Amino acid sequence: MSLRDVEVRARKTEAIIALAIILATSPIIIGFSLIILSSFSKSMVTNFDPSSFHLTLENWINLLQGKSAAVGGLKENILKYTLNTAVVALGVSLVVTLVGTMSGYAISRMNFRYRKHFLLLILLLHAFPGSVLIVGVYFIYRLMSPIAMGSITTFSFFYVIIARASLEIPMAVWLMKGFFDLIPWEVEWAALIDGASRLTVWRKVMLPLVKPGIAAILLFGFLAGWQDLIYVRTFLAEKTLATFIEYNLGTLEFAEMPLVAAAATLYLLPTIIFFITSQQLLLKVSLAGLKR
Amino acid sequence: MVSIKLDRVTKRFGKIIAVNNVSLEIAHKEFMALLGPSGSGKSTILYLIAGIYKPTSGRIFFGDKDVTEIPPKERNVGLVFQNWALYPHMKVYDNIAFPLRLKKVPEDYIRKKVVEVTKMLHIDHLLDRYPYQLSGGQQQRVAIARALVKEPLVLLLDEPLSNLDALLRIYVRAELKKLQKKLGITTIYVTHDQAEALAMADRIAVINEGKILQVGDPETVYNRPSCKFVGGFLGSPPMNFIEAGLEYANGDVYMIIDDNKIRVPRQYIEIINKLRPDKVIIGFRPEDTVLVRKERDIINRTCFYGEVYAVEPLGREYIITISINAKLIKAIVPRDQVFISGEKTVVCPLEEKIVLFDVKTEKALELLI
Repeated sequence: MSLRDVEVRARKTEAIIALAIILATSPIIIGFSLIILSSFSKSMVTNFDPSSFHLTLENWINLLQGKSAAVGGLKENILKYTLNTAVVALGVSLVVTLVGTMSGYAISRMNFRYRKHFLLLILLLHAFPGSVLIVGVYFIYRLMSPIAMGSITTFSFFYVIIARASLEIPMAVWLMKGFFDLIPWEVEWAALIDGASRLTVWRKVMLPLVKPGIAAILLFGFLAGWQDLIYVRTFLAEKTLATFIEYNLGTLEFAEMPLVAAAATLYLLPTIIFFITSQQLLLKVSLAGLKR
Repeated sequence: MVSIKLDRVTKRFGKIIAVNNVSLEIAHKEFMALLGPSGSGKSTILYLIAGIYKPTSGRIFFGDKDVTEIPPKERNVGLVFQNWALYPHMKVYDNIAFPLRLKKVPEDYIRKKVVEVTKMLHIDHLLDRYPYQLSGGQQQRVAIARALVKEPLVLLLDEPLSNLDALLRIYVRAELKKLQKKLGITTIYVTHDQAEALAMADRIAVINEGKILQVGDPETVYNRPSCKFVGGFLGSPPMNFIEAGLEYANGDVYMIIDDNKIRVPRQYIEIINKLRPDKVIIGFRPEDTVLVRKERDIINRTCFYGEVYAVEPLGREYIITISINAKLIKAIVPRDQVFISGEKTVVCPLEEKIVLFDVKTEKALELLI
């Protein structure tokens, strides 16, 4: 046996691990590949049968022109759905970041009664799946929803954003608390003594130092809003990409499946792009406790 | 530049009293060291002066001006933290320029000042680096430059040398002292290292458990400690302490250490006769102790018998630990005087250097009259 450093695994072990990871992820990768492939095909590519693939851009053209199902002939405005999805996603992202950053700072810096219990309570909130809470959330929705029908659409957007964001906030608060905990008190004090006001300290010293954390919760918030189906489906007065796809799947007999595949691909895009571009950032997040 | 006055300042954190009724005056241009073990409240005093903490009671004055209620940014103090607290996301130049930028002075003036102060501290070639690209000594100088650039009334240093390696510390010590004298800036230096305090300060305030035990110049604090704690905290190795019973016989007083019966040092005879204690603690410094082999070599009236317990050669001198009936004391002897473990010896503390402490209050006897 040759000598090696502690962290270095044997080549053979490494190959086995790599193979195991590939095998474990292959169903997901194959599934996504088939959807993307089908979106460029006349009929769905299924059962690993390459003969069912006939290249066409028709699906994408139809999709962007707003034709939904060839059979139903219903006009569906996909661009509007995409916009709706983006509004919800950005809204969630913004609310999560604002609340997460500020409460993370407060919890990290302020020493108040029952602080520890409060932190544990937040964690407990995070443990509840959103779908479990939906009855209660719907009840509040009914209580709050305006009587005037004209404003219900606007209200539903606000409501979905706030409700969905509140599911993400516990995690964001914990993450940001961790980032602020890493900044020593002395750095803040140094700035105060250098002549900065509390607000200037926050803006010029604290925020730049927690940038990776802010970027991470912005991203997580956006993806949470973008991916959400159940809250959007329950509360939003309009369709998003998720509900559009779900609606089409509900009418499977009539739905033009390659078109749905194209919509699904469009829906997947931000997730893929974000994860590829922000890999470095997300790695940093997971290391936040150890390294700065 | 100003004098600083603390008037009966107390700071509580919940139930803990960090600073207990402290009064202290620091003169204009003076270099004052606050010396104490960790957790003694010395850093808290510094932060009270800086304005980071507000006193629970008491007032703080800069000159004649009461600054107790004034926020830190208006006090014009420079503070160097133990961990230096540089802004990690800013380059050295921006770190040092930060206090001036907040004052909204013109950028050319800022550049001039930054170059001036960094030249003085020999870090003017590092302006484009980030703090993590600097060594400990360089980071420390950047921190000092940042504290000095706004020309503060008071310079506060919170153990600035404790994160440097031992050799660099001794070098920077001298440099810092020189800089302080050159700038003539009122300086308060917090440290737990008695050697640093003795080496640098004009005056030392020894602090323990939130109270100031003694304030004085290094000479006085070292040679005439006001209480057992001060004697035991300063010096390396620290002061020796032996408890002794007192015997009063026909006008004479003797101190009894087990089988040894020795005379009370001359300077204490009057005090002892006034106070009439039945026990005292004898304190004497290892370097004020002479070891002799034979009784005929005895140099004074305050010698007693012991047995060599351990010998530590230190190059320049030897530290000899002596057991007096299982109680250990230390003596520093020149290296040409050879002792071996187990040897019988006579310990002769220099009479005029002996300090006697009260057993109950642990204060020096002369302070109890």
